Amino acid sequence: MVVSFKNSIKLFGISIMMCCAICVCNMFMNYLIDLKSVEALVDGPAGKALYDAYISTGVVCCACSGGCLSVTSLVMLFFYIKHYIDSHSKQIGILKALGYSNFKIAKSFSIFALSIFIGCLLGYLLSFAIMPMYYHMQNQTDLIPHVNINIHFELFAILVLAPTIAFGLIAIFYSVKKLNQPTVNLIKGITKTKGKNTDSKDKGNFVKEMKSSVLKSRKTLVFLIGLSSFCFSAMIQMSTSMDELASVMMGLMIFIIGVILAFTTLYIATSTVIRFNQKNIAMMRVFGYDGFSCKRAVLDCYRPAAYIGFAVGTLYQFGLLKIMVSVVFKDVANVPDYKFDWPMFFITLGAFIIIYEGIMLIYGYLMRKIPLKQIMDE
Amino acid sequence: MIQIKNLTKYYGKDQSLFKALDEISLDIRDGEFVVILGASGSGKSTLLNTMSGLETIDGGSISYDGLNIENMREKELTKFRKENTAFIFQQYYLLPHLNVEKNVRMGADLAGNKDILPYIKAVGLEEKRKKFPSELSGGEQQRVAIARALAKKPKVLFLDEPTGALDEKTGRSVLDYIIKLQKEQGFTMIMVTHNANIAETADRIIRMNSGKIVDSTTNNVKKTAYEIGW
Repeated sequence: MVVSFKNSIKLFGISIMMCCAICVCNMFMNYLIDLKSVEALVDGPAGKALYDAYISTGVVCCACSGGCLSVTSLVMLFFYIKHYIDSHSKQIGILKALGYSNFKIAKSFSIFALSIFIGCLLGYLLSFAIMPMYYHMQNQTDLIPHVNINIHFELFAILVLAPTIAFGLIAIFYSVKKLNQPTVNLIKGITKTKGKNTDSKDKGNFVKEMKSSVLKSRKTLVFLIGLSSFCFSAMIQMSTSMDELASVMMGLMIFIIGVILAFTTLYIATSTVIRFNQKNIAMMRVFGYDGFSCKRAVLDCYRPAAYIGFAVGTLYQFGLLKIMVSVVFKDVANVPDYKFDWPMFFITLGAFIIIYEGIMLIYGYLMRKIPLKQIMDE
Repeated sequence: MIQIKNLTKYYGKDQSLFKALDEISLDIRDGEFVVILGASGSGKSTLLNTMSGLETIDGGSISYDGLNIENMREKELTKFRKENTAFIFQQYYLLPHLNVEKNVRMGADLAGNKDILPYIKAVGLEEKRKKFPSELSGGEQQRVAIARALAKKPKVLFLDEPTGALDEKTGRSVLDYIIKLQKEQGFTMIMVTHNANIAETADRIIRMNSGKIVDSTTNNVKKTAYEIGW
């Protein structure tokens, strides 16, 4: 087997992401199914309006959190597979040289679906722990009949089994595509270098050149770091600004999911950046570049992506809440107008700057600990 | 002048403790070309790594013009390497996403050296200065590594089996470049190899076995890279 169970466990980032996605989706979908069963009992225009708003909220929440997190998990899966093939190209090349077909090798990548299954299952189970609180909160109005929790096993198939199978198949087909390169290139670890894209204008300074090259060599990491800041910015601001639109529990849930996603993604992206550039960092230090220069060359190039992610997250949460208030809750009485929360924006931005720059400093320090002998041992 | 006294290095611990360098003492003059010769496991690469400050030592002392490096902190060692040394390795270790010019700039920037073209010309890669490492042959990649090291204007150049991954023709050409440039620029050059023929090009040949220097000979009949056997 090319990919082992241990390798699959390393995809804990995907597991966490899927756990959050399925937890939210199962909670809302379970509620939506139960709510639909009492549709006929809803009375009056106010009740109808609130019923429609609940349905719309559920659909939007499922689509936003479930959809976004699933797409992100998919990007992460592609990223892991590509990284695995790059870092194990020699072993894979030898297998190909021995006569193993691309498909036969790729089949072992289906084990990555295990991390999806673990994440989905945990999310599915976790949602049942939160569900009583959510149902209790939704049942507090008299406009809609009391809704009881019923377990819908079809949701287990849709939210746990289906994603596992789908991701397993995607892993196989994506691996086949990535393995489709000359065996000798895999054995020698030759990766395609797109000259025009990776080496544009002369910047006249090595550290700047290195920064630009690091950034362009792994574009997925730019996405992940941007996503991490996006999650931090959007979820934290949303959780604290929607106090009049939703319950404390809902806000706390969004806050926790945001923090978990932000830190998991940032950890995965940053540790991968360092792992990819370990040899380059060691070589820079052998030549006499200090830790600060190494950090500048390898980590600082992601700063714009991080701050853009933060800005997009801020706009996203504002836009989403504005739409919720003006479209979804437009017929519901006593819903306050939503305005941009400037104090919370500055608090979140301050926290983000301190946390992001602090984490980068820690990683910069860890980079200095890369043993120089490591590159001599090969 | 490099002075090494009673240099000792251990690997492993407890029952697997292994003495890689056994009280080595050695003096190397400025501008000297020294080849450290020995079989695999003799300790020659460990000696190179420790004397260049890439690895810590367990005993003895290493000094460069009276400046001891064995107790230096990482920050001081980095500064020392920046100002004094350069390296050429068997596996080149070029940065794969940077072209020839930009790889050479890695060394040149540290020495405040703005003009990198003479170094690229010196190794005969002027035409290929926009190429990436993956577009070059092994010999060409090693020549980029040489240009990168020399653009740093080092006082001491350390080479670990620089021709080990090259065929005879390319190996001779690379070796010829290095020797020629060392003569021109006068830096100290310390090369590790297991190839006894290459040693004939050096000023001095130090033979190692089981972590000890077993012989140190001044080479009175220096040969060129094209006169030695391979």
